[in-house]
Amino acid sequence: MNEKEKKDYLAGYKKAKEKGVHFYPDILFKDAVVSLLIFILLAALAYFLGAPLEERANPSDTNYTPKPEWYFLFLFQLLKYFPGELEVIGVIVIPTLAIIFLFLLPVLDRSAKRHYSSRPWIIGITSVLGIGIIFLSIQSIRETPPPAEAGLGDPIAALYAENCASCHGPMITVPEGTNLHLIITQGSHEGGMPAWSGDLTNNEIDALAGFVLSPRGHELFNSNCGECHETAELVSSSPIELKAALNLGSEYPAHSELDIPNWDEVLSAQNRTSLLNFLVAPDGQRLFAINCSACHGRSVAYTGEEAELESLISQGGLHLEMPPWQEKLSSDDLDALARYVSSTDASAEDAELFSQLCSSCHGTLIPQMNDFDLARDKIATGGAHETMPVWGEVLTSEQLDALVSYTMDASEGTPLEVGRDIFSKNCALCHGDFGEGGVNPARPDDVIAPISSAEYLKTRDDHTLFQIIAQGQPNFGMSPFGSAFGGPLDDDQINTIITYMRSWEANPPVEYPPEMTLPDNVDLSGVEIFETLCSQCHRPDGSGIGPVLSDPDFQKNNTDQEIFNTISKGHPNSSMIAWSQILTDDQILQLVKILRNLNNDGSEAGTSGPASFANDVRPLFEEHCTICHGQMGGWNADTSENVINTGNNAPSVIPGDAKNSLLAQKMLGTQSSGGIMPPAGLLAEDQVRIILDWITAGAPDN
Amino acid sequence: MGSKIADWLDERLGWRSVWEAIFLRKIPKVNWLFTLGSATLFVAVNQAITGILLTLYYVPTPDHAYNSVQYITNEVAAGWLIRGLHHWGASAMVVLTVLHMLRVIFLGTYKYPREITWFTGVFLLIIVIGFGFTGYLLPWDQKAYWATTVGTKIASVTPGIGDWILRVMRGGPELSAVTLARFFGVHVWVLPSALMALSGLHLYLVIKIGISEMPGKDD
Amino acid sequence: MNEKKEIDRRSFLGMATWAIGGLIGAGFGIPAIAYIISPATRKDEAQDWIRLGSVSKVELGTPTLFKTKIERQTGWITKEEELSIYVLTENGRDFVAMSNICTHLGCRVRWISDQEQFFCPCHNAGFSKSGEVVSGPPPRPLDQYQVKEEDGQLYVLGG
Repeated sequence: MNEKEKKDYLAGYKKAKEKGVHFYPDILFKDAVVSLLIFILLAALAYFLGAPLEERANPSDTNYTPKPEWYFLFLFQLLKYFPGELEVIGVIVIPTLAIIFLFLLPVLDRSAKRHYSSRPWIIGITSVLGIGIIFLSIQSIRETPPPAEAGLGDPIAALYAENCASCHGPMITVPEGTNLHLIITQGSHEGGMPAWSGDLTNNEIDALAGFVLSPRGHELFNSNCGECHETAELVSSSPIELKAALNLGSEYPAHSELDIPNWDEVLSAQNRTSLLNFLVAPDGQRLFAINCSACHGRSVAYTGEEAELESLISQGGLHLEMPPWQEKLSSDDLDALARYVSSTDASAEDAELFSQLCSSCHGTLIPQMNDFDLARDKIATGGAHETMPVWGEVLTSEQLDALVSYTMDASEGTPLEVGRDIFSKNCALCHGDFGEGGVNPARPDDVIAPISSAEYLKTRDDHTLFQIIAQGQPNFGMSPFGSAFGGPLDDDQINTIITYMRSWEANPPVEYPPEMTLPDNVDLSGVEIFETLCSQCHRPDGSGIGPVLSDPDFQKNNTDQEIFNTISKGHPNSSMIAWSQILTDDQILQLVKILRNLNNDGSEAGTSGPASFANDVRPLFEEHCTICHGQMGGWNADTSENVINTGNNAPSVIPGDAKNSLLAQKMLGTQSSGGIMPPAGLLAEDQVRIILDWITAGAPDN
Repeated sequence: MGSKIADWLDERLGWRSVWEAIFLRKIPKVNWLFTLGSATLFVAVNQAITGILLTLYYVPTPDHAYNSVQYITNEVAAGWLIRGLHHWGASAMVVLTVLHMLRVIFLGTYKYPREITWFTGVFLLIIVIGFGFTGYLLPWDQKAYWATTVGTKIASVTPGIGDWILRVMRGGPELSAVTLARFFGVHVWVLPSALMALSGLHLYLVIKIGISEMPGKDD
Repeated sequence: MNEKKEIDRRSFLGMATWAIGGLIGAGFGIPAIAYIISPATRKDEAQDWIRLGSVSKVELGTPTLFKTKIERQTGWITKEEELSIYVLTENGRDFVAMSNICTHLGCRVRWISDQEQFFCPCHNAGFSKSGEVVSGPPPRPLDQYQVKEEDGQLYVLGG
């Protein structure tokens, strides 16, 4: 633009101004109208759409899909086209060039021409930039997934991030065979890791164990199953079911309606293993609890080699046959065994014979049979062990290893049982069977205070207890028990004692009740005494403070005389006073009888209202029966109709007639063929009662 | 009475000449497109008023920011309106600034003698974008946190000094209380000061030089 | 010829502009005022019966201090506050619960048993056993709470 052009422009502009209008009110009126419209628009947006506010910022939420404000979307989208090293072009070069272009516009375009038709270049470049920005913004909106969906995402990763990541970082690697479930549940007092059992549910702990042990499986779960399933819902299901679902693809009954691929084609064998390792973490304790304990109880007695155990488990019932004992035993011996199995008044010799010959396989779980002849026949002819699944086909090799090593450990008993044993051998002499204390045998004038009160246990951490046990308390006459201090126990044993002591916390055997009210007149019958006096502390069903009086162990381990003595003399340190000062011997004798009856009428307490199939009955079947019957046996427990009509000897249930229903007979041991179910022994009495009531009520599907 | 007061004030303030210079000046006849500039100014004023009101309750720390924003939205009378006006005003600000700029480009208004007006305008655009960027961390919700995480991360791509820029923006390696405090400071002190200075200059030039007329086919 | 018309038009536009300006001003101003004063006009939180403690702790004829914690919501912060209340009974049945906040400038009064008076250390004010002003600047007796007794426990109405 030269001087003349400048002059021309100024002259032309002056003319235009003279012809023009005053800023006020002509122009200002237009501005005011536009401003009012904008104000109304903004207020309407505020009213109808509001200003969004999402969840509070959560730095550990790794699933949130960040999405910038709309006017930055084009920049965000631009980055997608410049991956890796080229990123700098999208981020720095292009935006900088655009800004420089804008800034230098008056320098680049210095002609005097103002009408757009005379300036094709500038208009062109601006249009391209503008259209480009609009295009990128639209593209970005179309490609970004709505954040809400992704936000729900992955509860297990969130669980990990919330609870574990602050100490363990984004990832933990653990050595093979680690019992993660136990570690997470109990924590580790040396490492300062808290016990999570209070804060997390069992399923969450299991899912976390799987997450740590098989990160690959977790990824696969999210990409393949996460859309329909939650982790927590699957970790508690049986591995047999999971395996079946994976192998059968859309033929798996629950998947039949769905449009899903055949997993064995989509996922490699290795990936399927990872997935199973995630869902059913290679964690022996849990595997045992889910797979084995329905039949084997809390542990199996096993003394053989580890390799042998592994082949036993992996081959399952197929190759585990009971020999026909008639070839090896005399007829008398067969009689003795059958007697032992079928009746309760077997002699000590019978038991001896059983433990010699049978317990290496059967452990302490004696197969029960009510009919002597049937039992004898079974023992004599032997037979395949049909009920044990072929675990080698179900579990991954990691899971199998974990299960075997856990079973080996557990065959020595659970820590709790071991702890109780050690406690009763080493501690009970002074501290009493359940830590109630008593007169100090070393110093008759002293009284040892209870160590099982809630207060005692709450005020001492595991470390302190360990120190006390290991180093002893010389001032009080307690000798050191730790091997480091010349005592008999190693560190592990002391820890199991502590585990046992901690088990008191849930139900402290020694607790001082607030006040005890004595009636003026104690000339009462035994029942009345129990109801008015004993049940103040022990509760009407004997489950209150102190040992659970109805517990079979309590009943077995105490003779009538011992119970009599305890009532009559009391425990010096607990609130169990010496009742002989108040009650007559005769009354105490009546009390002993009442205590003996406690475990017989516990069943009446449980049932209230009619049993529901979905809520009461099916869970029992699922817990005790479907472990074998789900995939293997012909009987199916998922609906009440199937309970009634499926099975090799269907009908299994005659609605309304419990006595003649095969299922009930099997459960009660009154069946005419085959063994009692479940093989581990009778269900608890109240559980049996629920199922019987349900059958009697017509086996409704409720 | 009114005119007496006006006279009295005029003798002392000389407001009539200012009024005449600004409001009674003659300008060329223009169409509605020329209201875009003052519309932008209006929204800027809207942002200032509502922004000031928001700071009455807002607390720029991670442990209170979210709660105080929730408090404004749900508890304070008309809080939803003030926050809504500010939120949507931010979008309107960007839209209007860009439209205003496009009008200037298409009508060739950036040319002699209005180059300086244009330069200040480009700076103002950058400031508006800066407002948007610093503003949306402030509610400290998920969107705020993650978008800012990504936004600051993008800056770290700059060759050589990228990582350093990232640390300066965040006030450390991670998004933290420091980040929130400095974004707040920039949003309510640094950028508004710059905006006022530059828009003051921008407006002075508009009044001094006058707005351009619609160019004819031959201009 | 159109001069007059033109002037009419312009004065109309001017008025319209001012009117719109006023409208927008009101659009900002009214919500802004509501926004600013809203926390002040907020009604006190619903009052509730606060448990002080056992009736048996109150000594006959002597104001007994009860301390209790209440949760107070201020803005977006919930905090625990300690509430100190003197309870007086002459007969063990009728109770008077008094705030320990001096009605003068809000200092905390305490019971001086030797002098049988509440004493405020800020400006040496004295209140009688029942809260009446005995000496000093306070404008009115100590504030009282509504009080009730239930199952051997004392409750006051407050919030």
